[in-house]
Amino acid sequence: MSHGNDRSPLARFPRIPPQILRLILLTAAIVFSYFGARALLTPPSFGQHGFYRGAALGEVAAREPVYAGAKACAECHDQEVAALASGGHRLLACEVCHGPGQVHVDNPDIKPQILHFSHCARCHEASISRPKWHKQVVTREHYSGSNCTECHVPHKPEEVP
Amino acid sequence: MKRKWNRRGLLGSIGAAVTGLLALPVGRAAKAAVQKVLVSTSAPRGYDPTKHKWQMAIDVNRCIGCGHCVEACKKENHVPEGPYYRTWIERYVIAKPETGTGKARGKTWVDSPSGGMRGFPELPIPEEDVLHTFFVPKLCNLCEHSACVQVCPVGATFDAPDGAVLIDPNYCIGCGFCIQACPYGCRFMNPLTKTAEKCTLCYHRITRGLKPACVEVCPTQTRVFGDLRNPTPDDPLEEFYRRNKVQVLKPHLGTEPRVLYAGIDKEVS
Repeated sequence: MSHGNDRSPLARFPRIPPQILRLILLTAAIVFSYFGARALLTPPSFGQHGFYRGAALGEVAAREPVYAGAKACAECHDQEVAALASGGHRLLACEVCHGPGQVHVDNPDIKPQILHFSHCARCHEASISRPKWHKQVVTREHYSGSNCTECHVPHKPEEVP
Repeated sequence: MKRKWNRRGLLGSIGAAVTGLLALPVGRAAKAAVQKVLVSTSAPRGYDPTKHKWQMAIDVNRCIGCGHCVEACKKENHVPEGPYYRTWIERYVIAKPETGTGKARGKTWVDSPSGGMRGFPELPIPEEDVLHTFFVPKLCNLCEHSACVQVCPVGATFDAPDGAVLIDPNYCIGCGFCIQACPYGCRFMNPLTKTAEKCTLCYHRITRGLKPACVEVCPTQTRVFGDLRNPTPDDPLEEFYRRNKVQVLKPHLGTEPRVLYAGIDKEVS
């Protein structure tokens, strides 16, 4: 096979000089390799919502909740939830006092945390920084014991047991 | 047998190589098309981020500084032990001005021991010298024009269509630019994963129809949370707007925070 004969592919485009045709082919190869590399390196969900990986939304949301939410509590403890809703503590969600409840929802044998005196004081200990409308006491002067529930019903704080 | 190169053979090889390169993106695009369908229908399952716009509002007049929100946030999001907080409470103590100085207000103290999670110590000044003192819960301000998103060199932090500013944990390289850029100090470097971390608005909860953990446990409804695209009949946000005059933190920076505050003083930043 001799060089530069009529069967050469370049000879099929007689009007384009071979050196120009080579330049065109080289440019096309570079452009296509750029797009090839881009398609390979860009994550599939990139650009789904914007200039970021759309799959990240799902990955961030994949964590399991630790706090179950008041609705989950009401499924079994509807009486307690109803009692709470009519009293002075009606703005409180169950998990404010009883702690994160998803483990208890998944396995009712695992009981929520037991509350102590310090839990009431956490909100109701008097502080000048607290807003005036909020009920506060100087616990040292108010009560010498360690069991607030002697006088106050937590689910209905205005009632006396 | 030794291969003898000639022009025809060489061009044939180049042609094959170009065809191969072309085949790769075609295959990749097909795979992407399949994955896009899967991505949009998988996690978060049944949740369309373009159909929500989350909003947080904070009524400082109601905050009692109990720290339940900080504790709940730590537990809910497995925030590492130590001085790392996605939300925290600051106590502001503004002193009376010294007589004869002609000033309207005195010195300001701000503290947040353990993020306010375990309560606050005695005031730094005697009670009779206090002009005004209050608590301010802080969290990611969900800026419309987020500084943190602009500086991220790898596109790992972004504004989600539903208003949450999130971090892609798999693409964050831990450079820390965003931590310096955030004018509200809302980001930190997770010492375990070595990636930037911040409030996600409890993205795993809101996509499941739950409230963020801090909103769930707030005993005084200081924190109000809602969806601007799906207002409920007794929307807490609407009630919040009706009752309060709202402000944002550091408005002069032009970040346009979407966390609104009511009842903050001029010293709060």
